[in-house]
Amino acid sequence: MTEQVLDPHAHDPLSLDAELPSSLMTVNLGPSHPAMHGTVRLVVTLDGETIVEAIPEIGFLHRGFSKSSENSTWHQVLPYTDRLNYVSPILNTTGYIMGVEKLIGIKPTERAEYLRVLGGEISRICDHLTCVGAIGLELGAYTVFLYAIEARELLWDRIAELTGARVTVSWTRISGVATDMPPGWEQRLRDCLPRVLELTNEIDTLLTRNRIFVDRTRGIGVISGEEAIDWGFTGPCLRACGVNYDVRKAHPYSVYDRMDFEIPLGSRGDTYDRYVLRLEEIRQSHKIVQQCLAQMPPGPIIGDDWRYALPPKKDVFGSIEGVMAHFKLIMEGIQVPAGEVYVYTEGANGELGFHIVSNGKGKPYAIQVRAPGFPILSALARLIKGHAVADLIPIFDSINMIGGEVEQ
Amino acid sequence: MTDHMPPPSAPARPPGDPSASGAVNTAGGQPGAAKGQAAIPAPPKMVKVVVDGTEVEADSRDNLIEAARRIGVAIPYFCYHPRLSIAGQCRMCLVETSDAPGRLVPGCQVRVKEGLKITTNSPAVKDNQRGCMEFHLINHPVDCAICDQSGECKLQDYYMEYDHQPSRIRTYKLNKPKREIFGPLVVYDAERCIMCTRCVRFMDEVAKEPQLAVVQRGSHSLISTFPGQPLDSKYSGNTVDICPVGALLNRDFRFQSRVWFVNKSPTVCTGCANGCNVYAESRGEVIYRLLPRRNEEVNQVWMCDAGRLSYHASNERRLEWARIGRGDGAESVGPRLAIEKAVELLKPLQGQGGVGIYVSAQCTNEEAVAAFQLGAHLGAQRYSTGGVPPGDSDDFLIRADKNPNTNGLRLVAQAFGVKLEESVGRLKGLIAMRTDGLSANSLQGTELFIAVAQNESAVSALADVALPCQSVYEQEGTLVNWYGRLQRTWASVAAQRADAAAGWSWASRILGGLGGAGPGNAAEAFAALAQKSPHLQGLTFDALSEDGMVLEELLPRDWPARAPRPSPAAHSVRGPQTTPPGMKVGDEASGGSR
Repeated sequence: MTEQVLDPHAHDPLSLDAELPSSLMTVNLGPSHPAMHGTVRLVVTLDGETIVEAIPEIGFLHRGFSKSSENSTWHQVLPYTDRLNYVSPILNTTGYIMGVEKLIGIKPTERAEYLRVLGGEISRICDHLTCVGAIGLELGAYTVFLYAIEARELLWDRIAELTGARVTVSWTRISGVATDMPPGWEQRLRDCLPRVLELTNEIDTLLTRNRIFVDRTRGIGVISGEEAIDWGFTGPCLRACGVNYDVRKAHPYSVYDRMDFEIPLGSRGDTYDRYVLRLEEIRQSHKIVQQCLAQMPPGPIIGDDWRYALPPKKDVFGSIEGVMAHFKLIMEGIQVPAGEVYVYTEGANGELGFHIVSNGKGKPYAIQVRAPGFPILSALARLIKGHAVADLIPIFDSINMIGGEVEQ
Repeated sequence: MTDHMPPPSAPARPPGDPSASGAVNTAGGQPGAAKGQAAIPAPPKMVKVVVDGTEVEADSRDNLIEAARRIGVAIPYFCYHPRLSIAGQCRMCLVETSDAPGRLVPGCQVRVKEGLKITTNSPAVKDNQRGCMEFHLINHPVDCAICDQSGECKLQDYYMEYDHQPSRIRTYKLNKPKREIFGPLVVYDAERCIMCTRCVRFMDEVAKEPQLAVVQRGSHSLISTFPGQPLDSKYSGNTVDICPVGALLNRDFRFQSRVWFVNKSPTVCTGCANGCNVYAESRGEVIYRLLPRRNEEVNQVWMCDAGRLSYHASNERRLEWARIGRGDGAESVGPRLAIEKAVELLKPLQGQGGVGIYVSAQCTNEEAVAAFQLGAHLGAQRYSTGGVPPGDSDDFLIRADKNPNTNGLRLVAQAFGVKLEESVGRLKGLIAMRTDGLSANSLQGTELFIAVAQNESAVSALADVALPCQSVYEQEGTLVNWYGRLQRTWASVAAQRADAAAGWSWASRILGGLGGAGPGNAAEAFAALAQKSPHLQGLTFDALSEDGMVLEELLPRDWPARAPRPSPAAHSVRGPQTTPPGMKVGDEASGGSR
């Protein structure tokens, strides 16, 4: 706690324009504050209403991801990656599995590629809806939050039908995915997508030109493109500064090179731009989802190399080959050749990187995640310095910190 | 002791000689070799061969499999076994050599020669391995889920390594006998059998009792016993060990545990004086099976059926809790009160004579040491020994003396200057270190009986103080086998059973109560022995290697014809002495018999 030493004799206490004696105050925001999403603590030094200094303290959601992974087989790591960014789990698992596939030198089937992109983009929409809804909620626009959550629930229902779980999906597999679209699912998705867009537009109408919302967000938490790059920003927070970097376009992976979509860009790098950009990305992801549905070829959803892919149940119960492959994969896990890879994909919050080292012994030797949220959170103090304490919440919302990935 | 003179040609082996845990000796299965060890092996002739581009120095008697194994290149095989004759049944080991370019030759049958180039990873070799696996699996049932072999099955391992593709068979599988009782210990599932004939060759060549044969032809062929002649050899259990699949199963172990749930730990069989090296496989405090552990100088890679079942005494009818009083007055009181009671009962007799010490030949050396120390402190009048009565014997691994440590007991008694009587005599008090060999009759007239006992018996029921003893598999210690090999045991079964403690620990605690001092752990007990015994000068407990050391002075003059004996020369002709990289534990090279 910093304190100004005041000299009582410096001012004439009777004078009208005498400064009121004041001192800096340190307060804790979080970790149990609802606006801190339950997972981060900010030690904020205030001069009146103005933020002088802020130190984010993370670790309240620390799960020992790297260490746990070292003691798990390659498939057992998969559920841990679900829980990195738990709002868009399919994007995480896809990133991890792509890394393992690169180590092995194996490709997923065509249909699986499309399913991964489809699931990933639905997850991205969910992630952005959550962020946008939360900004509205915490600035008093509760309606916006309800609209966002309604749209997200529609999509999570589809994800639950596709993968068997709303959030902890564990759906991606080496050389494919676990389940195909169930019968009638495609139509249900097509039916709900317009409603999602409608709700997104509704949010747009309610907030984007709303006097109060614009005043609270425009010019708040500004960061320049150059400085953002220095901090290590990626994803919507970087693009809000006008820097055109999206892994899907810059280094296309999976089937993104076959997709027709735009990368929206901001110009000011403030809270408002970060919000508007996410709304636009929801619309672009919607376009990608439509294209996936149109282009998706029929075929197997997982490869048939039983050294890596679990055999279909029909073969496990019906053939000795299948039951032996199943036994070895479940009891001993897959054997990944020794090597080291860095695989990066566009997560909902930016570049999600998996640095994976294998020593060929059936378990990862080391896994390090480049969580997009981590460098952005580290710049939070820089973003909120000099702003009023009330601005902290919208700024914090707009960087969309997710405890699971930041504190792995 | 004096009648144990070292034979003139007895080879000395320095303590801690690392050349003990060997890989395989190709010559082991060749004609003549199985007859025993009469011939001293000629010095090996080494030749240089090239395996997949890497130069290897191999013994000229090596086949291609063994030569490749020297640098950790695994050539897969089902039917080959280093100690059996070559059958060439399974065709898994086909490789290419520079002698026959473009052709595949069986790696088990072809010997190395100077300059030979061996290719184990060419497309032709890989294709053959894949094809072989496919053929082996044509009629194999979908049994992994109910098969005891699951988890240690060569079919599973090789399928994942060499085949890993879906079945292409569109017809029904052949049905064959599913549970043929071959003998008291072995049951046969013909559907799982891949006809490697290892079991047939084992019975012919090692057990020398040809009780198995191949009957029928082609894909209908199966292994069978002869009419009216079950597989009742004393070595029948080994056929289960060497069966690479789940066709032959141990009836004692069948359906008892999954193999990945048991902990495998080295120890020594206590079934007879041969002291076969074994692995005890246990979960919690229960032993599930004993498997032979490679020691060329004791049991090669085999063990007898009786030894295989000897672990039951460690699981069943155990004296669990420390107890005082006899008959209806008996009460389990816990170790502390039981020791207090023993001390209270023994104090009046201290230095008065009238106390006897009985040490069973089932004891470890350490237990005997502590018993003799207790006897010395009490001024014991008489020391006696006994044990499990003698039984059958043969010229291979089975000794008539059914106690694991008769020799060790003599050694300890000699070191402590104690004369061991054959009977307990009539004394006022008796302290028994393990009760094997005692009978209720022999205790008539004994007023005070303190027993350290592993199992409940008519004798332990007579004890005024009964102290539960850990089995040899549960404690650290040393044993000396029939020809003078000092071997370590470990706490192979990790879990603690009730009040059970090592025998030396009970004796030591009583000693403490009487104002003396006994060993605090097994190493201390051994140190006390090594200090006094001329045979063990300078030895420490921890310096003993996994396969023990020979006390030359104890070597007998006469050897059963086929009994394995110490022969350092045999080591030099073997392959690498440690597990080569890439070899799995349980493979022939790493010490198991599989």
